[in-house]
Amino acid sequence: PAIPEGVPGDRTTNRDGVLVDEFGLPQIPAT
Amino acid sequence: MTHWFHRNPLKATAPVSFNLYGVASSPAANKICNDLRTTRARLLDMFTDSTCTPEIMKKSSDEYFALLQGFILPLDGTTQESKLRFIQNFKWSDTLQGNIASAQQDAIFELVSMAYNVAIWYTKFASRLAGKENITEDEAKDVHKSLKIAAGIFKTLKETHIPRLITPAEKGRDLEPRVIDTYIVQSQAEAQEVTIARAIELKHNASLIAALSYETANFYQKADHTLNTLDPECSSKWKKYLQLKQHFYMAYAHCYHGQTLLAGDKCGEAIRSLQEAEKFYSRAEALCKEYRQMKGPGSTAKPSEQLFFKKLGTFIKNTLEKCQRENGFIYFHKVPAEAPALELKASYGLAEPTPFELPPLSAQCTPEVYASFDLTKGPKEDKAKAKHDEEIKPVKEPDLKPQKDTGCVVS
Repeated sequence: PAIPEGVPGDRTTNRDGVLVDEFGLPQIPAT
Repeated sequence: MTHWFHRNPLKATAPVSFNLYGVASSPAANKICNDLRTTRARLLDMFTDSTCTPEIMKKSSDEYFALLQGFILPLDGTTQESKLRFIQNFKWSDTLQGNIASAQQDAIFELVSMAYNVAIWYTKFASRLAGKENITEDEAKDVHKSLKIAAGIFKTLKETHIPRLITPAEKGRDLEPRVIDTYIVQSQAEAQEVTIARAIELKHNASLIAALSYETANFYQKADHTLNTLDPECSSKWKKYLQLKQHFYMAYAHCYHGQTLLAGDKCGEAIRSLQEAEKFYSRAEALCKEYRQMKGPGSTAKPSEQLFFKKLGTFIKNTLEKCQRENGFIYFHKVPAEAPALELKASYGLAEPTPFELPPLSAQCTPEVYASFDLTKGPKEDKAKAKHDEEIKPVKEPDLKPQKDTGCVVS
């Protein structure tokens, strides 16, 4: 497996490793 | 008005002098008592100061809690807790019970009650900020953050500090699980409202908005049900608010779910989903009117006349018309009798309570100073203790009336 980036519990990614903003929304809107 | 939240009154308290004459037998011990009195008074002032910011609130509450912990934590390593824990009487009213106060001679009761009010303050700060027209992104972040801080304080008090009280909370009081659980879930749900507004503004996927709205509606339902067995006299108005928000967000969920269905060429189901949204919206409108007529603690408002409320109604109507037009031209689908089930799980935007940590013990509270508190020389009778059954004056809160909502945008 690849070396993990960032620290565990980093607030910029959610459980699936998707980048999220302060509100927990994906940083790039999905539409 | 961007958002509207119901708020119960702040808790009120009697002044505490911390006059431990005789017991505080050194200048350093006396200084701790004086500083406790002044930091407590300052913190109480902050609750009603409309210029107070979260930074000031954090600083004021940390200053007081750092000292108060000298009355809670063991400082000489020989006991489980401070010998000073039960020396001072504290009196607090509750957010739902008017001016009737509870009194406990316990520093943990004071810690819990004061921190509770700090949490209520954060919810009120958030409400004030969110009640503005067209809030900025930074303000929306502050609202979201404040509500998560409040939820975290309530949660930590419930799990860590309230169980340490010797006298259990009476029914209907702030420290009992039904009331505190409702505050936790309500704070989370309101934080998610801010997230839903942002998701709409940033044009996120309709399925993401539907799922988050559905979960938020469920949070409100859970909060409402938690209050079911509480005395209706003090909880009816609050329950009405939770119910109207539940219906409002169910309307949101069905509306955005309808959009997802339309995007997947399921036009008949989309129409049915939007009809369901209309139903929930009408029920929310009726609940708004009932809320206004309710007597009980908390704010007064006309939410159904506000722009944030009317906007959803127009949006549902337009989307339904669009679906019906497309069905008449393209799809010719039969509209099902049953509304499509919402089995939506939000993967994004759920608001977790921010963990609450007490500040470190004040540097003034050393083992030497602790030793200079001599319990054998009992304190003078405290006035607050003597007047045990006295009512407490309610807190005069700054005017939190919602601002006039014109719907105009200065571009």
